[in-house]
Amino acid sequence: MTISQHPTEETLAALAAGQLDEGRAVVVAAHIEMCLACRSLASDLVSAGGILLGELAPSEIARDAVARTLARIDRGEAAAEVLAKPAAALPPDLSMLPASVRPYPIGRWHWMGPGVYWRPIGVPREAGARVFLLKAAPGTNMPHHTHKGTELTLVLRGEFSHALGNFGPGDFDEADDSVEHQPIVSAGEECICLVAMEGRLQLLGWMGRILQPFVRI
Amino acid sequence: MGEHADQDLQTELTNWIVAVAGKDRAAFASLFQHFAPRVKTMMLRAGLSPQRSEDLAQDTMLAVWNKAHLFDPARAGPSAWVFTIARNLRIDAQRRNQRARRIEADLLDAPLAEDVLPDAVLSTIEAENRVRSALGRLSQEQLQIVRLSFFEDRPHGEISRSLGIPLGTVKSRLRLAMKHLRKLLESPQ
Repeated sequence: MTISQHPTEETLAALAAGQLDEGRAVVVAAHIEMCLACRSLASDLVSAGGILLGELAPSEIARDAVARTLARIDRGEAAAEVLAKPAAALPPDLSMLPASVRPYPIGRWHWMGPGVYWRPIGVPREAGARVFLLKAAPGTNMPHHTHKGTELTLVLRGEFSHALGNFGPGDFDEADDSVEHQPIVSAGEECICLVAMEGRLQLLGWMGRILQPFVRI
Repeated sequence: MGEHADQDLQTELTNWIVAVAGKDRAAFASLFQHFAPRVKTMMLRAGLSPQRSEDLAQDTMLAVWNKAHLFDPARAGPSAWVFTIARNLRIDAQRRNQRARRIEADLLDAPLAEDVLPDAVLSTIEAENRVRSALGRLSQEQLQIVRLSFFEDRPHGEISRSLGIPLGTVKSRLRLAMKHLRKLLESPQ
């Protein structure tokens, strides 16, 4: 798989620094699973985090902190950790789903318009991005749209293109509200993408804009 | 700190973590003294209260004890490893939803499998030196942007405030700083 479109450096840095909301983090992590170059950069950026941690001015720590922590160790206390549950068996049509998405509940396909379906992924969100799969039939012209907030798109299968390039499996499309584009799905194969889109209302608005032209048909 | 002093420190930290995996309490106390005060600063900079920051510094060290047997010095440097643990606990503390999972974290923790790494795996120390040297070649301003973007609660606002540049400019400065860092990471020293 030749990946030619990647997340920006600052997005990878935000992932490494733990500054991305969970929805966007899941989609960027999914790209990293597929992309050696970004994985290696992200790993360097985690190293940078370690180096910068070492350079932080030390704060004063409670005098008995070590003793208290050792006492917790003696009590056999485990760090409070939420472990990802093992991935459930996937329906065959989702065998291409990246590992980063698998721990989350996956909804059903919903009709969005002729040849276009979306499928929610239950990533807990507070103010962050909503995650879903988008599936479009070969040759579909997605309506012209802009974004409120950022929209991250990872191609899992098939191919689409818009003014800024062609996007095949593994490619990552990072669009913010300055981007206006009209994706066209290539002929020959349906296209499935993993999308993180910011904002509940923005999603409705975006979907409204997507839906409207189709609904008139 | 010179490169050698850094390397010596990283080697020492590595040895301590390996000793902690063998339940060595003295090594744990040494690790604690090095990391806990810095992790507390990291939590404070992330906007957490002093008490919460202290608790999370201790939680981080508790996790270091519990996970020390998973630490593989061939895969990660000691500071990067502790940074990841602290970062994950900070993410959990700041996400109200406790179901939050750290998928992104786990992925970065995951080793680069050798089958995907075509060339010989660089030693961790070499890799870290490369990163350290790249950071050292950033301009002061860019280094500060990178630093703030790693540790501040609202990095954009903080970058804008401490560099005295408008918020609208922050994004492009951040982009330039990270692009430059990447270039430095990829270029021979």
